[in-house]
Amino acid sequence: MSSAGLPPADAPGRAERFGRWLENALLAIVLFLMIGLAAAQVLLRGAFGGSLAWADEALRLLVLWAAMLGAIAASRDNVHLRIDLLSRFLPASWQRLSAALVDLFAAGVSGVLAWQSWRFVAESREYGDQVLGTWPAWAFQSILPVAFILITYRYLAGLPRQLRPRHAAPGPGPA
Amino acid sequence: MILTSLVLVLLAVLGAPLFAIIGAGALLGFSRSDVDLTAVPIEIFGIAETPILLAIPLFTFAGYVLSESRAAARLVRLSAALIGWLPGGLAMVAVATCSLFTAFTGGSGVTIIAIGALLYPALIQAGYGERFTLGLVTSSGSLGLLFAPSLPLIIYGIIAEVSIDSLFVAGIGPGILMMLALAAFCLWRNRENRRPLADFSWREVRAAVRESIWELPLPIVVLGGIYSGYFAVSEAAAMTVVYVLVVELLIYREVPWTRLTAIVRDSMVLVGGILLILGISLASTNYMIDAQVPQKLIELVTRYISSQTSFLLLLICFLMLIGCILHIFSALVLVVPLMLPVAAQYGVNPVHLGIIFVATMELGYLLPPIGLNLYISSYRFKKPVLEVCLATLPFILILFGAVLLITFVPALSLMFVTK
Repeated sequence: MSSAGLPPADAPGRAERFGRWLENALLAIVLFLMIGLAAAQVLLRGAFGGSLAWADEALRLLVLWAAMLGAIAASRDNVHLRIDLLSRFLPASWQRLSAALVDLFAAGVSGVLAWQSWRFVAESREYGDQVLGTWPAWAFQSILPVAFILITYRYLAGLPRQLRPRHAAPGPGPA
Repeated sequence: MILTSLVLVLLAVLGAPLFAIIGAGALLGFSRSDVDLTAVPIEIFGIAETPILLAIPLFTFAGYVLSESRAAARLVRLSAALIGWLPGGLAMVAVATCSLFTAFTGGSGVTIIAIGALLYPALIQAGYGERFTLGLVTSSGSLGLLFAPSLPLIIYGIIAEVSIDSLFVAGIGPGILMMLALAAFCLWRNRENRRPLADFSWREVRAAVRESIWELPLPIVVLGGIYSGYFAVSEAAAMTVVYVLVVELLIYREVPWTRLTAIVRDSMVLVGGILLILGISLASTNYMIDAQVPQKLIELVTRYISSQTSFLLLLICFLMLIGCILHIFSALVLVVPLMLPVAAQYGVNPVHLGIIFVATMELGYLLPPIGLNLYISSYRFKKPVLEVCLATLPFILILFGAVLLITFVPALSLMFVTK
């Protein structure tokens, strides 16, 4: 609890930068794959009246991945959609307490979601579900537990920061 | 049950992320009725089984790229050249450009920042009053959500399982009505100041057209493609992204490649937030249907409200309130599944209901004291929020009149809808 507040340059700061870089890279890869594939489908339909049989399913899986990666990034940036009507009217010390309470709650729910997603993926693996012809479905579904574990971690990791005094109020969410 | 709901509401107003609130509701509900909790991730995986969702990341990304470029400035210049010579022309330029820009970029806050900032000084310079200008720019920022390829209409279509093409067609009349109402108000308020912005000049029109020649085909291809039915919505989205990337990155070169990572991240963070809530709410909606929540709501509402008219009036008030508290996407996801069956009970057409939802929530953005656009405008133009509220008030009244018309004249929305 008494650690000095100098995050950059030390090990956690490096991990933070690497994590952000990895998120950005994966988001860019998934999004541009999506754009390329979707555009190819339109062109193929326009030019030849046909399309790639597997592309529609692949596109839908890419949307899922983009959504979950985006959700991971959103919890790092702390910009998940929220209402936040009351907390700004609370006194500063109560604000910290309510922020911590709310983060703890979010971590709890994401934790349960991570566990249930894990069970979902395990079951799907047991049944040998397949996507895109013969690919194992669990590999594509595993983004769900991974995302919820990371989101849980993010809210837990933010807790000490929320409780520390002189913390600027979190922003009201995306415009 | 009631205690749990109260705790969840309290956590929500204290600022808990909405996905956690909805997720907790779904998990608790399922565990209470002894359903295996993997039902929730299975529903979230449903994101990968809904083809139309592809349009959301594509349009969002295209909108972000567009708002990073100088497209807004070119659009303002072109419309000023085309209709600026009319009396009151510049105010109409504001209404028209804001609508088009919002339809393509989705978030109405972006419109105030990108276009409002260009129009505000121009309007003041052309002799419009400061308060009028402030009100006009703030309220125009939420116009346009009724036109293709508006994301809120797409999301409503997904949740309500209504044809999105029909929604786009249905939005045209009401969208134009809201634009005309604002434009007419501008003309009337400035009947003393009829000095046109500038004389009509072919040279300026030619220059403005030449400047934006690469962007002009975009609305024509996209809107034409969607409204004619040649493109499915997600195909139009794919074309839009490719087009916008080529034009802004390769031809105009206004968006540096180095900015691209940040744009990808910002847009996908929003998409992730929306789709996560959508996925989780698929689960909570399923639970609510199992628990017959809509039926109970119908019983409750029909006990007190007998006529369609009073139901619709109440609905509008409720939606305006929700629209200013919640982001429009979360509001749609939360409210549509509950309201759809109730509205059907009163004989409201689901396509018409979608138009009512989006038109009313557009207004919610402006509602004092917490409408989001009031704060964005106050921040952007460095005016106290109270002043923005007062300046926007007459515009809110006009738009409220338009919403009433849209609500009580279904033909306005439904006349061209065939399906």
